[in-house]
Amino acid sequence: MSLLVVDHVSVSYGRLKALRDASFAMGEGETLFITGPNGAGKSTLLKAIAGVVTPRQGEIMLAGHAIGGKSPEAIARMGFSMVPEGRHVFGTLSIEENLRLGTGMRTDKDAAERDLEQIYAIFPVLKERKDKPAGLLSGGQQQMLVIGRALMAAPRLIAIDEPSLGLAPKVIDDVYVALLKLRDTRGLTLLIVEQSATRAMMTGGRMILLRSGEVALEGDARELARSDALRNAYFGIEEH
Amino acid sequence: MTALLQVFFDALSLGSLYALGALGIALIFGVMRLVNFAHGDYIAFCVFAMLWPSIDAAAIVFLGNLPAWVLIPVILVLGAGISVLSEILVFRRFRNANPATMMIASFALGFVIKYFLLMLYSSRPKSIDLWSAVSLPLEIFGARIPLLQVITIAVTLVILLGLVLFLKHTRYGLEMRAAAENFTMARMLGIRANTVIMMAFALSGMLAAAVGLILATQSGTADIQMGANLMLVAFVATVVGGLGSLPGAVFAGFLIGGLSSLMQAYLPPDARPFRDAFVYGAVIFMLIWRPNGLFTQKSAKQRV
Amino acid sequence: MQRSQTILQRTLSTPVILIAILAIVALAALIVGTGPFNQTVIEIFIRIVLVVGLYVFIGNSGVISFGHIGFTCLGAYMTAWLTILPAMKKSKLKGLPDIILNAKLHYGWGLLAATIFAGLCAYIIGKVLMRLSGIAASIATFAVLAVIIQVYSNWDSVTGAQSSVVGIPIVRTVWPYFACAVLVVIVAYSYSISRSGLALRSARDEAIAASASGVDITRERLIAFVISGAMMGLGGALYAHSVGVVTPDTFYLNLTFICLSMLVVGGMNSLSGAVLGVVILSSIIQLLRWFEKGVDFGGSIVALPLGVQEIAIGVVMIVILMFRPSGLTRNKELSWPHWPFKQLPAGRSRAPTG
Repeated sequence: MSLLVVDHVSVSYGRLKALRDASFAMGEGETLFITGPNGAGKSTLLKAIAGVVTPRQGEIMLAGHAIGGKSPEAIARMGFSMVPEGRHVFGTLSIEENLRLGTGMRTDKDAAERDLEQIYAIFPVLKERKDKPAGLLSGGQQQMLVIGRALMAAPRLIAIDEPSLGLAPKVIDDVYVALLKLRDTRGLTLLIVEQSATRAMMTGGRMILLRSGEVALEGDARELARSDALRNAYFGIEEH
Repeated sequence: MTALLQVFFDALSLGSLYALGALGIALIFGVMRLVNFAHGDYIAFCVFAMLWPSIDAAAIVFLGNLPAWVLIPVILVLGAGISVLSEILVFRRFRNANPATMMIASFALGFVIKYFLLMLYSSRPKSIDLWSAVSLPLEIFGARIPLLQVITIAVTLVILLGLVLFLKHTRYGLEMRAAAENFTMARMLGIRANTVIMMAFALSGMLAAAVGLILATQSGTADIQMGANLMLVAFVATVVGGLGSLPGAVFAGFLIGGLSSLMQAYLPPDARPFRDAFVYGAVIFMLIWRPNGLFTQKSAKQRV
Repeated sequence: MQRSQTILQRTLSTPVILIAILAIVALAALIVGTGPFNQTVIEIFIRIVLVVGLYVFIGNSGVISFGHIGFTCLGAYMTAWLTILPAMKKSKLKGLPDIILNAKLHYGWGLLAATIFAGLCAYIIGKVLMRLSGIAASIATFAVLAVIIQVYSNWDSVTGAQSSVVGIPIVRTVWPYFACAVLVVIVAYSYSISRSGLALRSARDEAIAASASGVDITRERLIAFVISGAMMGLGGALYAHSVGVVTPDTFYLNLTFICLSMLVVGGMNSLSGAVLGVVILSSIIQLLRWFEKGVDFGGSIVALPLGVQEIAIGVVMIVILMFRPSGLTRNKELSWPHWPFKQLPAGRSRAPTG
């Protein structure tokens, strides 16, 4: 059974159609890349899954349950953890407080403590400065913090919107290395939105290309990233 | 020296009231960007709850007859109750409205509460005798300080300390601070919006009740307008402190209280009636100097 | 030719419809003809002047001002100073300069002077405040109101402090008030379709984009602030001549909130909202007042207890805002070819991005 099913979902902002009839599914343990140019509807798609925007049409199912009309907190409690674009650390809260925020809905407090130690082990810089306000961290460190925070919820599915946005290439590499390490040690199901497809070469998995709110292409991430199809889709050249 | 001490205590006790009022407004603003103009009317509501409804000039004491250890919790619960009730009946439906609409809705709600009280109790101020023993003066270094001032300051400090402990060391406090900073993100981490907002309203209502009890003891009267003036100063203090910043609200409350007391004491007699004009003039310059308030949160600034 | 006509039609239809509404209200006073109803209609026109005055600044700039009633106070006292009999002034308001002390002007000059004086004060205050935005600006304007009221409540020799200033010539016919309301609507509409009005609204909707396109937000705001301040001053002067008495207390929070409520309930980003908000809320208030006095229902007189009128109006406002958070007009303008509503240019609501 698929963990996430997006079934003919459309989202509009007023008259503007941000997402049109998008459909895809992903299974447990899978890594799915969603890519596409600016304004293709990538962030809108994630917001719809998170319950921040309500689809005009279609159905989203998480682990077999429809999430239509549910609040963001209810969806989070169903096992969906979201890292939105622009990081959104709680700047005035300490790093540890940021991390602990994710554990509110867990009942297994001991496991949560172990997770905290694990995250500190992967991101030692967070442990060093755990009592400092999170707003003082650099961009890359903040990105690591929000990924760690999302993991603290022990989610079944974690979605990350543009993890590389505004980061230096070296830092992006660090973020991805950490992310892959987490995926492989914990068997995470990952949904990553990126504007550039090159990172998909590193992570593998499946890839979906969105264009003008529609699913334009779907296939193996490494193959697609290498092929001309992607470039054509970006530049709007139709294949004949 | 003794005069100075007296001014010092005046400033602190007035500042205490302003700080508590500002805190009540800042708590709610933090979680839902609502400037709650009904806050002053919660204060009046709590005071009048101690009286039996009647439009006679003489007040019939009702809850006010209870011993303090019962009365105080009962009034606090009433304050929390009316505050939470207004969130459930009114403000919940305005979550996605713009701030101006919410503000006018809160003003309309305050209007309803005020005239409801007026209908039950008439508009005449009534005398109310609460713990008159505490208005006796206390000798501190030769200055005669009303005991009530000392109690007001002490109570305020206890409330502030309690609030700090709650916010820093409990799960709900953590969630509230997170929600105040970024509500949507907090919800995406599974923090329940309704729980946090109701908690904020309950705390804010309790603060209104505390202010009501202090005001009623201080003035010995129950007046429908009694919360309104304090509410305005508190509102100004919240903005001067930096909207959404709780320490800022408290600090600015004390600052404005201190400024008023100092001016009352040291302005030349001719200028004294214009004291409030000077205070508000100072507020204007503070805002021009620091438009985002004295305690600005980085995240509150607009990023481009 | 065809095209220019429709543009003309589109441009003119909103003010024409609004003026027609005002004319109907004025005619109602003429037909009913009783003194109290006449006074009610005068009150409506004064509120139109005030709320439209608020709209010019708040609606176009998006900055909520709590301070505009201060200008109303300035205007009311200015016309009082100029039109009260010199003998009365010499006993009550000794501190006034001689030239004012000896003046006895027609109320028309009083209105003009009030408008100019309030506009001038708005210019001076706006110069300092208009660099502020958002809630800081709102609080700063409130502080201005508080300063004005405190000064006027305590400056005994010039304003009579908290005691009422009496002896202002009372004007009981509806027409001057009607004329002022019409004038204010025309000026407000002209401003909102002027270059400055458009620039200011664009800055309201997209501040960064507007300033990047060369809109000097501070300057455009100042223009709107001065025009709206002048209108508030005119409204204050009209108020003074409608009742003949002024006290500083009249111009404080209650009036501020009543005017703001009418604007928000009508729809704060549209001129039609300002006018309709006044007309509709005033009508409801009047209806409730009648009920409060007692209405004859087939022989039995039903009267609402005191206070119910205010409670009802509060509840009505909350309910309207619940169902129409952007006001009765949804921030659009009344217009003819697209009856009932159209959108002003740059008056659209923001679409979220991302």
